[in-house]
Amino acid sequence: MPLPVAIRLENVTAHYAAVRAIDGLSLTVHRGEVLALIGPNGSGKSTTLRVAAGLLDPVAGTVEVDGRTRTADPQRYARRVGYVPQDADLYDELTAVQNLEFFARLYGLRGFELDAAVCRGLARAKLIDRATARVRTFSGGMKQRLSIAVALLPDPPVLLLDEPTAALDPASRDALFADLHKLRDDGHAILLTTHHLDEAEQGCDRVAILDRGRLIADGPPGELLRAKPTGRAVLFGRLGEPLPKFVERRVRQRLDPGIELEITGRRMRLSAWGSNDLGRALAIVLSEGVQLDAFRTPAGRLEPKAKAA
Amino acid sequence: MTYLSLILTLAGKDWRLFWADRRAAVLAFTVPILLASAFGLIFDRPSPADAQMRLPLLIVAGDSPFARQVAADLEACPRVEARIVSRNQADRLLEERRPSVAVILSAFDSFAGRPTLEIYHHPLCTMEAQWAEGVVTEVVMKRYAAERFGPFAVRPPFETKAVAVGGPETRFNAYSHSFCGMTIQYLLFWGMESGLLLLRERRRGVGQRLRAGPVPFMALLLGKVVATAGLALLQALVTFAFGYLAFGVTVGPSVVAFGIMAVAVCLFAAAVGLLVAAIGGTESRARSVSVLAILGLSMLGGLWVPTFLLPGWLRDVSLSLPTTWAMRGLEGATWQGRDFLDTLPSVAAVLGFTVLFLAGAWWKLAASEKRERRGVIV
Repeated sequence: MPLPVAIRLENVTAHYAAVRAIDGLSLTVHRGEVLALIGPNGSGKSTTLRVAAGLLDPVAGTVEVDGRTRTADPQRYARRVGYVPQDADLYDELTAVQNLEFFARLYGLRGFELDAAVCRGLARAKLIDRATARVRTFSGGMKQRLSIAVALLPDPPVLLLDEPTAALDPASRDALFADLHKLRDDGHAILLTTHHLDEAEQGCDRVAILDRGRLIADGPPGELLRAKPTGRAVLFGRLGEPLPKFVERRVRQRLDPGIELEITGRRMRLSAWGSNDLGRALAIVLSEGVQLDAFRTPAGRLEPKAKAA
Repeated sequence: MTYLSLILTLAGKDWRLFWADRRAAVLAFTVPILLASAFGLIFDRPSPADAQMRLPLLIVAGDSPFARQVAADLEACPRVEARIVSRNQADRLLEERRPSVAVILSAFDSFAGRPTLEIYHHPLCTMEAQWAEGVVTEVVMKRYAAERFGPFAVRPPFETKAVAVGGPETRFNAYSHSFCGMTIQYLLFWGMESGLLLLRERRRGVGQRLRAGPVPFMALLLGKVVATAGLALLQALVTFAFGYLAFGVTVGPSVVAFGIMAVAVCLFAAAVGLLVAAIGGTESRARSVSVLAILGLSMLGGLWVPTFLLPGWLRDVSLSLPTTWAMRGLEGATWQGRDFLDTLPSVAAVLGFTVLFLAGAWWKLAASEKRERRGVIV
């Protein structure tokens, strides 16, 4: 039996920088679930998170956390959502304890409750031995853990993370997902954004693919990636810089048979039978150091079966 | 959680951030002291009670006995520091402004017709030239009268006494003025820095975190005001304590008047900070505009030199500036020795400007917050 819905976005449209950043988006995240939003730059991933966090008011549609909207009670809504911004920014000049104390006080914790929350936060961030060190001396992974610990201070049922692995090495990334899985098992609903398909596949219970503010696919990563080849899945990309011939040769050598790669100047077209093969092919392209400024999939072509599911 | 404790929590965070950088914190207390001391040193003159002020003066003596006698009288005069030189030497020294006034006594070589007494001066030193004219005229008249009518005619039938007027208990020295002026100016810069910090914080991820948290927008602003004003008050108290210990800058008789005036000035500095954050736009733009505005307000408000040195129309304009009232209030509560009631108009004026600035800043910041929530990048 599925756990109750923690976040519900219903036909949400929101603007960002004079652009319709999300367009009629409907999405739910249940308690005990990790959902990854993936898509190219500008697809509306971060905007979706900002709307869910209450930082951005939608121009249409409703956003609910545990059945409550932000407009009804902004303070209570804020206590039910933990938001971790993209750069895991905290007060670098303060220590880990001072940061935790400050945010815990903002959430109204005092006395014993405050001390307990700070200790829990330090333990959660695995920073007990660095409690009195200034945050500016921390590594990216430590900052990210502390940032998540701060977001979890009021014990919110919903955790929103904007590209949490962007500045992390593979080991820190694995550790972060292990922590997120523990939180999921404790009943938290986790909504995160990522550019990495492998992360979404391995670390998340469900994946939602956004393109130009619209949901083009939504389902468990396994189902999405095991979709039967009903047609060729295609991905268009724009390279950050023209690809040297020797890199292109190396990429082609590693691609499975049946994968088509066309490169014209800075334009790239990648196609495969099914998104599973396409995802793997994209991972190979990226692992060879190819810089992609943007990529998109034609709506309705990527995961038609999974979307229906 | 009460609103007040939320504001205090936010202010406490800024307090901790201030002390986190110890060297910057020490500089925040040292710089106003150094500025005020330097200005005091530049404008310091011995008070009439301590010593007679003497005007440095060059004398180009003439050939006649009368001219030589006048030169000797000027050398003996306690109001000038006279030095007899040749005409060429006088020209050269005047150019170098060492000193800035010379009197040519060769006109007295002959009293045929009406001789002209020439006083040469550096173009920037008209005031000293007028001073010299007064002293030389007095000496010449005394000598002339003595030679014409005998020694008994030289005493004027009255005596003069100069009294410095400033308040019921005047204890002026140049440091009193500079410590008031430089403290206000520094606090305005402190307010500006605080505003820039707010701008920076709003653009960072930590600002997003605060906005996503259970903190009303008004509490964020009030927390910033409390922190800025609190730290400004501490800086003002430390600066005046140093002024008292090192240069005899006095406070009172009403310490309450000084305290209230200082709090008003610190709140005003905090309001300036919010206004900077509200209308500044980008950080570099805000910094440039604020520096210009603060230096202008300081100059016209009499924070550097007293406003009586300004042209008449500018003196009238300066009455519409908050810095003029802040300066009046602080000077009144310090060396002028005014009491609590006398200081109240200045307190009211400064608080009035504070409310005006805060209202403007809140209106602008709230509008920009609304736009940001609608997805407009500000």
